[in-house]
Amino acid sequence: MSVIEINSLTKHYSGKKFSGDKIKALEKVSFNVGNGEIFGLLGPNGAGKTTLVKILLGITFATEGNAMIFDKPVTNVNVKRRVGYLPENHKFPNYLTGEQVIDYFGKLSGLRKSDLDKTTYKYLKMVGMDEWGTTKIKKYSKGMLQRLGLAQAMISNPDLIFLDEPTDGVDPIGRKEIRDVLLDLKSQGKTIFLNSHLLSEIELICDKVAILNKGELIKVGSVDDITSTGNKYIFTTSDLKEDVMNKVLMEYKGTLHGKNEFECNINTVEEVNKIIDYLRSSNVLIHGFNKEKNSLESMFINLIEQKN
Amino acid sequence: MVLYAFIKGVFREAFAKRILLTIFGFFSVLILLFVFGITNSTVEGLQLMLESGSAGGLKEAVLTFESYIVSGIPMFMLVASMLIITSSFVPDMLKKGHIDLLLSKPISRTKIVFGHFIAATLLVLFSFTFLLGSIWILISAKTGYWNVSFLYSIVWFTFIFAVLYSSVMLIGLLSRSNILSLIINMLMFFPTTFLLYLANTYFQSDQKGIVFGPVAESLLKFFYNILPKAWDVQDISVLYVTQSPITNNMPIISSVLFMCVMLSLSIWYFNKKDY
Repeated sequence: MSVIEINSLTKHYSGKKFSGDKIKALEKVSFNVGNGEIFGLLGPNGAGKTTLVKILLGITFATEGNAMIFDKPVTNVNVKRRVGYLPENHKFPNYLTGEQVIDYFGKLSGLRKSDLDKTTYKYLKMVGMDEWGTTKIKKYSKGMLQRLGLAQAMISNPDLIFLDEPTDGVDPIGRKEIRDVLLDLKSQGKTIFLNSHLLSEIELICDKVAILNKGELIKVGSVDDITSTGNKYIFTTSDLKEDVMNKVLMEYKGTLHGKNEFECNINTVEEVNKIIDYLRSSNVLIHGFNKEKNSLESMFINLIEQKN
Repeated sequence: MVLYAFIKGVFREAFAKRILLTIFGFFSVLILLFVFGITNSTVEGLQLMLESGSAGGLKEAVLTFESYIVSGIPMFMLVASMLIITSSFVPDMLKKGHIDLLLSKPISRTKIVFGHFIAATLLVLFSFTFLLGSIWILISAKTGYWNVSFLYSIVWFTFIFAVLYSSVMLIGLLSRSNILSLIINMLMFFPTTFLLYLANTYFQSDQKGIVFGPVAESLLKFFYNILPKAWDVQDISVLYVTQSPITNNMPIISSVLFMCVMLSLSIWYFNKKDY
């Protein structure tokens, strides 16, 4: 079941006044986000990521196309009862304490005071801010504000959470903690829509990603599919004898990387097992074998460079 | 519930930014000055009237005195100061990072506009109640004549504020600048409405010192009819205070219409705007 359905979404902004020029922020973007997924949206600066998120939240309006959340148009205010949002560079009123921020935005999300009394501490604790709840947020660091923002996005126990650069300004330990929170939310069946520049982070936790460039969708799919290089397997072994090397080269069309490593293009699991059987019967010790993958970062850079 | 939380949020902002403190501090000083003023001079004059005349003389003296308090200049100063204080509300709300969060919540854009308007108007209502209510108690306690009609001036002053604030909101939404919105409003409404009020008074009088051409006269009447009538409503406020009959409701009706148009435009614009 799709939680988010995006069909031919287009957004044009007017350019210079009286010039009639249009800036294409999004051009016929279509994809779906499934229930319980962690979905990552990637793209260079100005790719249209924030515009897309804002359209999905009803903050900005699409020029053409449509988007649905939980089978309802994104312009339906009631949909927002099931949605949490942490914007990039958010500005909470700095005269409030952490607890007051949660209380204020919780009430705007339609929560009652009695519900908030029960949940405020729980969510502050979840993001490691329970000891700072009564401190004015003007004394918070950037990382603390991000954690508070995450608690704010979760306070109404939404089924779908949009996070725009959630680990921005957070130290490595804090980033790990936030990742753990997101994985915990996923285990509860929540859907998370993540917008981040940290590709390594996206690779670690996202099930599916979409890559935007200059307003166009250039790739969408699972992280495994996007980072996969085909059927290339790399074997690391003990020293290979010459007859074994020859067989690997001739029969399995392998490429040697020295005496201890070779790669093969293998299409089926049976073939993988056949090579393993041959190596073992030839008294070769297998130290390891892996299906070769590109990092998300290198794939991302390649795709963007190709498009540009 | 959500709307209430939003209005409460505006009050909390006003409190945190010491706006409420400034208003009540400023009004407290005014009340203190009034206490000294009324002790030293005014009451003596009123008491002299009481000694020399009938009870009606006292009533008339109190009504006259109270009508000075709610006359044009105090009204202008009070409403203008409130417009200055509240003019930052809308531009502050529209700041990037805050408006995104607000619009992501299950509260309609129409409710956000209404919420701001109601919150600002309530804030001013409380402030005027504090100031004019205190002055009323002081005058009444000193003279012994309790003119309840004076309290209507709280409603009328708040009404004048609400009418003008509706356009402050619209300009705030359009410009996102509190200073610009304030300047435009100050330049537009107080001088123009005052001039138009004078023009209208002139048209209605028999002795005309200046002669306008028919086109100029029509234009003046047109603008007089469509613009809010702060000074005319203030006149009505004086009539209420002095317990005189109200003969012309047109300034109230046209001001209400102006307010409705400004609010509708604000809602329309805010509902279609990308943030």
